[in-house]
Amino acid sequence: MSILEVNGLKKIYTTRFGGAKVEALKNVSFSVEEGEYVAIMGESGSGKTTLLNILAALDKPTGGVVSLDGRELSKIKDSEISAFRRDHLGFVFQDFNLLDTFSLEDNIYLPLVLAGKGYREMRDRLTPIAAQLGIADILKKYPYEVSGGQKQRAAVARALITNPRLILADEPTGALDSKATDELLYLFGEINRSGQTILMVTHSVKAASHAGRVLFIKDGEVFHQIYRGNSANQEMYQKISDTLTVLTTGEGRNEGEARF
Amino acid sequence: MIKKLYPKLAFTSMRKNKKLYLPYILTCIGMVMMFYIVAFLYDCSWVQEVRGGALLRTILSLGRGVIGVFSLIFLFYTSAFLSRRRKMEFGLYNILGMDKGNIARVLFWETVMTGGISLAAGLAAGILLSKFAELGLLNLLHRPVTYALTVPLDVVALTAALFALIDLLIFLNTLRQLRITNTIDLLHSEHAGEKPPKANWLVALLGVAALGWAYYTALSIDNPISAFVMFFLAVLMVIVGTYLLFVAGSVAICKILQKNKRYYYNPRHFVFVSSMSYRMKRNGAGLASICILSTMVLVMFSATTCLYVGEEDIIRNRYPRNSTMTLEMKDLASMGAEQAAELKNLAAKAAAESQAEPENILEYRAAGIAGFLTDAYVETDVSAVSGVSLSDYSQVYQIYIMSLEEYNRLTGEKEALSPGETLLCTTESGYDQDTIRVGDAKELVITKVIPKFCFEGMDAQVFPTIVICVPDFAEYVTPLLESDGEDAAALMWYYAFDLEGDDPTHMEITNRIKASLQTLKEDGEAVADFQCGCGAESRSSLYTMNGGLFFLAILLGTVFLAATVIIIYYKQISEGFEDQSRFGIMQKVGMTRKDIRKNINSQMLTVFFLPILAAGLHLVFAFPFLYKILLMFGMNNRPLLVLATAISFGVFALFYSLVYRITSNAYYDIVSNS
Repeated sequence: MSILEVNGLKKIYTTRFGGAKVEALKNVSFSVEEGEYVAIMGESGSGKTTLLNILAALDKPTGGVVSLDGRELSKIKDSEISAFRRDHLGFVFQDFNLLDTFSLEDNIYLPLVLAGKGYREMRDRLTPIAAQLGIADILKKYPYEVSGGQKQRAAVARALITNPRLILADEPTGALDSKATDELLYLFGEINRSGQTILMVTHSVKAASHAGRVLFIKDGEVFHQIYRGNSANQEMYQKISDTLTVLTTGEGRNEGEARF
Repeated sequence: MIKKLYPKLAFTSMRKNKKLYLPYILTCIGMVMMFYIVAFLYDCSWVQEVRGGALLRTILSLGRGVIGVFSLIFLFYTSAFLSRRRKMEFGLYNILGMDKGNIARVLFWETVMTGGISLAAGLAAGILLSKFAELGLLNLLHRPVTYALTVPLDVVALTAALFALIDLLIFLNTLRQLRITNTIDLLHSEHAGEKPPKANWLVALLGVAALGWAYYTALSIDNPISAFVMFFLAVLMVIVGTYLLFVAGSVAICKILQKNKRYYYNPRHFVFVSSMSYRMKRNGAGLASICILSTMVLVMFSATTCLYVGEEDIIRNRYPRNSTMTLEMKDLASMGAEQAAELKNLAAKAAAESQAEPENILEYRAAGIAGFLTDAYVETDVSAVSGVSLSDYSQVYQIYIMSLEEYNRLTGEKEALSPGETLLCTTESGYDQDTIRVGDAKELVITKVIPKFCFEGMDAQVFPTIVICVPDFAEYVTPLLESDGEDAAALMWYYAFDLEGDDPTHMEITNRIKASLQTLKEDGEAVADFQCGCGAESRSSLYTMNGGLFFLAILLGTVFLAATVIIIYYKQISEGFEDQSRFGIMQKVGMTRKDIRKNINSQMLTVFFLPILAAGLHLVFAFPFLYKILLMFGMNNRPLLVLATAISFGVFALFYSLVYRITSNAYYDIVSNS
């Protein structure tokens, strides 16, 4: 059963003075199955971030339908959207988005506190997650005291603690060094293997090579997609680079659901 | 070409940062205007000519000094805020190839422009409003108004010189800051990672101790003279305590709340408590300043309003009747009825010359002596108590002895006593001994403590007063009269009456009485000395003083209030910039806009109304102090002071809420821009 259905998604921005219209998304359709690990790739300006903002209900589409667990996002009332986001989605951002006024622990608790959970329950939920992510020792520290990799792991913990249906990650490795990137990608794989659905937007080939499926977006459309099948990360990496080369050198569009 | 670039750059950057610059320029204009007005009034020729004009000039020169010094401090404060926010822009200039010398030139032009605009506008506004201020002052002093508008050039020059100097100092300070920072720092100065605030328990406790001591002192002091001495110490302690508590105490409280898991991990408190600890760390000092300024405004306002409104009370306290005379008689023999009749006749004759006659007469005879009270004994020998420290002033008492017969006549009571017994009345809260012994006189058993009664100036005495009423007056006071020189008791005859007619008539009559008494004194038979006065005489000088004080309070109050508004505004703006990204994150993590707004609201309410609540508390504890000090001005109308204080606080709170509403909109604008 698919968790996320995206159908004919369209987004047009109008510049402030009503002049030129910019079509960020033309016609995007795809679906994400439960337990999948999907990466969306594309160059800057290809519409990745717009897509993610719409999936996160932070932005509204001009046309088309997004449904999560069969619920259409556009039909959820504004007053409920934040609670819906909090309960069903987990976010990991490029720049971590941790609040500097909270310790890491409190940052992780934030969504649960907002949902009105008690301290004991929050602590019980955090213990296994912190152990898995290797941040149990630094929970009392403040964001400014820890490294980027540690911050990002805390942000992952914050995304996981609500048991979300779907984790949305926006360039999660963008601000990390290579060692921290490896660690984080390894963790994402682990989390996915334990059954968590992940949708990641990235332009890092390395990050995408860990995913089970990679969607390529160009000029506001899904241009192509690759399934991992049985290939190892290394082979996946090669396939993605090849596709990107085709994509950027501007060869004809590869129609259909070609599988490698 | 390049020369024109600097002023142009300065101008554009000011226009782009108008949210920051406009209030700064307005502040400067306001300060220039206020300074000009006070300096102008100080310079006014009529101020020097009115009765009590010397005092009025002193008051005004004090005001001029306060506003001058305050301008310096306050403009430094606001400009520091400006340059902090603009460091990033300077970093950018630096990267684009301007060296620090070039930036200094841009800054120079900025200073010239802000200084020029604010000086010109401030002087214009000052000249316009100085006439209104003058009319206001004339009105407060009950003087006839004049309508000529003058612009004394030396006052203009003084104002210009002062503010040019302040601008120069601010410019130099900004240069100094620019010199000690490097480019990268300039670019990133806004994003320096901030350490979580640590609760400094020692400092917080010190704050509690300082404030506690000041409050205790305020409540425990019951003598105006020591009140005056302790006043400054207590004010200092309140200021210190307020700062320490706002900076450290507030963080400590947040830490305690954070330790309580059940309280802390609650949607309503979670974000609030943690943000508050940061907010208080950054803004504690600013909030404490607001609190202190508010308290000053409130104290000044309530005290001077009370003095001004209660002027007639004060006069009536000092002069219970329109005309009063206190005669010091040579001996007991001259206290007789015959002498009294002669004196009364003298007063009646003086009144008759102006077609008036004494009415509502108040008359009594008594003996007075000063002494040092310990337990139940009053030491009247001054040499025995030499080396008294200032804090012991509360033990210096004025003792009056009156015959029981006089007391019964004055009050209509029918008290009866046997020799060795006395009635006792005191202005202090209580006299808890059973007996009293004054100097060499015999010890008396107190049979009854009587309430205050109509006795000259009893309510408005600076020294605490005890009145004892004995059945055997002459016999009792004889030993007190026999000691020599200044330590001896004085026999006095007090005669006061109301008169018809206006103030000049009263003064004429009183002057006539004075002249006759002077002849009597020179005869040297019965009268040793005399004091003679009338309310009308002191009315005009009192009006000048109280009106002047009231006026100064209004001026300074306005300045402090404006300063409070500016501090609040800049605080809001800077917090808005800091909170912008934070609230963006919260929204992404799942906080609704409504939650965020609610949260912001409760934080702002706390931050805003904490200072004014603290100011209210200060005011409550300052009240007994204030009352004691006003007693020295002859003001003893407690309900009036309560009313004046309450109204001042009410009006201030209203105004403050208004400022809150306006400035919080500026904050929302910035925060919701993310």
